[in-house]
Amino acid sequence: MLVIEQLQYATTPRYNFPQTEHDTELHKRLLEASLRTMHTIKEKTFQPFDTELLENMVQKPQTSTSPDLEGRTLSTLLTPLKPIHDGTPVVGIDVSGIKIGETETGILCAVRGAVVWNLNRRYRHLRIGPFPFHITEENKRELFSNLNGGFSPETNYRPSPLSETIGRLCSLVERWIQASISYSANESIILWDGSLTAGFPGSALSDVSHLLRTARSQHNSVLAFSKVTSIRFLGWRITDLVAKREGPCLFEVEDLPLSITKNSNLLGRMYVAKLAVNGSAFRLDIDRALMREDGMKSVQKLLGNELMYQGYPESLRLAHIYSTFTANDVIGIQSFLTREYGLRIMPRYSMRKALFGPYGTGFED
Amino acid sequence: MELDLRIKKMRPFKKVGNTLHVLSFPGEDIEKGEYLLIEDKKPGKAMIAQIIDVQFANVPGVMEELLRSPDTDDSAQGEDADPMDIMSHILYIQDARLLVCKIYGTVFDGKIDPENNWLPSRTQSSIHKLQTSALLKLANISKGLRIDLGTTHDMTPLSIDACEMDGRLNIITGKKGTGKSHLSKLLALGLVQHGATVVVLDINGEYTNLGLTEDGTKNEHHEKIHVLSPGQNFKVTLYQTNLYVVMRILTYALSLPGTSAREFRHIWRALEESGTVTLLELGGAINRWKCNQHVRDALYSRYYSLVHSGFFTDNMAEAMDLEALLKKSESNGGGVIVINLSDTSPADRQMVVEFVLAKLQEVLSERKIRAVFLFAEEAHLYLRETYWDDAVTRMRHFGLFTTFVTNQPNTINENIYRQADNIFLLNFVNEHDLEIVSRAARVDAETATSIVRDLPPHHCLVLGNVVKDFPIVVKVKPMNVQTMGQTRYFFKQKEEAG
Repeated sequence: MLVIEQLQYATTPRYNFPQTEHDTELHKRLLEASLRTMHTIKEKTFQPFDTELLENMVQKPQTSTSPDLEGRTLSTLLTPLKPIHDGTPVVGIDVSGIKIGETETGILCAVRGAVVWNLNRRYRHLRIGPFPFHITEENKRELFSNLNGGFSPETNYRPSPLSETIGRLCSLVERWIQASISYSANESIILWDGSLTAGFPGSALSDVSHLLRTARSQHNSVLAFSKVTSIRFLGWRITDLVAKREGPCLFEVEDLPLSITKNSNLLGRMYVAKLAVNGSAFRLDIDRALMREDGMKSVQKLLGNELMYQGYPESLRLAHIYSTFTANDVIGIQSFLTREYGLRIMPRYSMRKALFGPYGTGFED
Repeated sequence: MELDLRIKKMRPFKKVGNTLHVLSFPGEDIEKGEYLLIEDKKPGKAMIAQIIDVQFANVPGVMEELLRSPDTDDSAQGEDADPMDIMSHILYIQDARLLVCKIYGTVFDGKIDPENNWLPSRTQSSIHKLQTSALLKLANISKGLRIDLGTTHDMTPLSIDACEMDGRLNIITGKKGTGKSHLSKLLALGLVQHGATVVVLDINGEYTNLGLTEDGTKNEHHEKIHVLSPGQNFKVTLYQTNLYVVMRILTYALSLPGTSAREFRHIWRALEESGTVTLLELGGAINRWKCNQHVRDALYSRYYSLVHSGFFTDNMAEAMDLEALLKKSESNGGGVIVINLSDTSPADRQMVVEFVLAKLQEVLSERKIRAVFLFAEEAHLYLRETYWDDAVTRMRHFGLFTTFVTNQPNTINENIYRQADNIFLLNFVNEHDLEIVSRAARVDAETATSIVRDLPPHHCLVLGNVVKDFPIVVKVKPMNVQTMGQTRYFFKQKEEAG
């Protein structure tokens, strides 16, 4: 077993991640949650998810509208950034989930998390999982309640369709890993995938606030990068506002009249970050509880200590790559399920193909 | 990670024509050249297929998986917390293999039928390796007059039936140093053991010590090996050589034009009438014969070629009777007559070979002997163009069964490949050579190119009648015979001397 450099990580009573690169508590909890759902599927049949679909899933190119905002006062909101090279560790966290197949009573899915550490530009990763889950209408409440164990129970639990539960499961697992890192990392920059918005299933406001508070108590800064955003300002997508600006720079959109309603669920201060000269721009949320200057400084530290791939932090990019499921993963997990749980594979019936023959294109619901 | 009890069974994946693709998983000990039996209990049939290539299965997402995985020796970069050990399943799938197989028939009621127009069930059929011993039994190989060739990959001894070489056309080919001559000696001695007469056209003098063991003592074949060196212990008189044979030498070996050949025939008849068919009298007759000066010059130049070859003599005491030797060999229960061509010039070589072939044809057509197995090493160096067609069409009717041995497959006429009954292929890597050998009718082109390319030295892919058309790879057994065909090395000799 490998021991990662410890200097930046303080020992805490509950979590010591990544002292041994394993948080047994976290694994145990996820494993227990997984097994609790899986024991119901022995000897059942399941329709596997078509891995060809996975192969064909290509991200749609983003439209590149570039509004001409020259001469407007928006440039006053633009802050050029200077990298600070001080050896601050960077930790990227991401979690992926995938539907593996369907049983008579529910869906089979798998979740995997990845943490990538950048210590002086030496990258190390830990993959947690994959953990298979059999989610049914009957067990999903219990599952989320179990996974919520460390967090506050969802007061406004509302039933969601099974198809949405994978996203919710991912959010919960992600929170677990984020909690683990928030406790164990010290004086580090912690990168989350997505935004610092709370208040949706699997991401309770109190939990996210608690996570941010914990991170701050360990002198960490949490920065959340969204790869794609739909937030607009005067009809322009916010990331397009800095398309013609020279990076690296931060563009604060916090006080602009945006297409979203601002409320207490936004736990981050919202920016558009263009962190490489010719890179792309991303929505960046910085923990609102940090002083504006401290948040800015964290981004400059990120610039100084992290590699940027087209303006996106390498640790987060790697975390995404390591957690993402490939078609090979799906086949491997399906093979595991058939062998360990005696599941029998049934050909997936395609209503589209049955109805439309060769014209039955598009994904099945 | 070990997956001891998790080995998945092989499954039929795809069948196109006589090609079957089988999905196989790590843990299956599979090699090219091995046979599989695909049993489908419902129709009560089993398909026999030979693995001709082992490829990685085209598993979706493998490229992404490989790109993101750290180097195998660089485990410090990352770790997996995978309490359910699912990654081992994922890696197991990544290592799935696709076995490309050629279908060679169907077993039904314990008998082999060449049909392959049925499909075994993908889900219900079971696939397992067919041991060579079982295949030999099923296909009735290794019966009759056995010639032991060696052992197969699963250490099963492989023998071929000498009868399957009887009346057949055979080819032994492979690149230099792979053991062609060794195999050809093994076959020649195997045939002799069963009473056959073998004539070897030995271009490099490799067969001259067939009667000696490695340490130089006489072996059990010694009395049956007759080495004839032209100009030394192999001389003939014109008296023994009838006009037909001489005309073949003059026409094919010495390229005598038609007009001159006609005049020569007249001269020969005149000498026959006077009972003076000798070299000396032939020279005088050409000198005296009334004919065009150009014709005379042409006849003289050929006459001197005959004289200077040293192969012809007027001394009956030093002349050798090939016919008598062939008869003796047959009556003594077989033997090898080695025509040692190693110290013979190319022109003289052709003369000697023409004489031997004409003589063989003569004694065989007159049924003075039953049959002869002819082993021709690098035949392109001494055989005339028209012999190739003769070998395929006429010769076998006389009882002359040829085995061509060469390391240059392009030197053998394409017809020979098409008509060959048995082919012994040793290693080739050159694409051009592989393409040529794959033209043989007895061989599936893909099988030949795929298996032969990876054959180690002294391993041979046997095809044709001798193996009932089931290609089998055999490691040719060693022989206690003094080897002469080995390359003579300069540096090795220096080392030994040192």
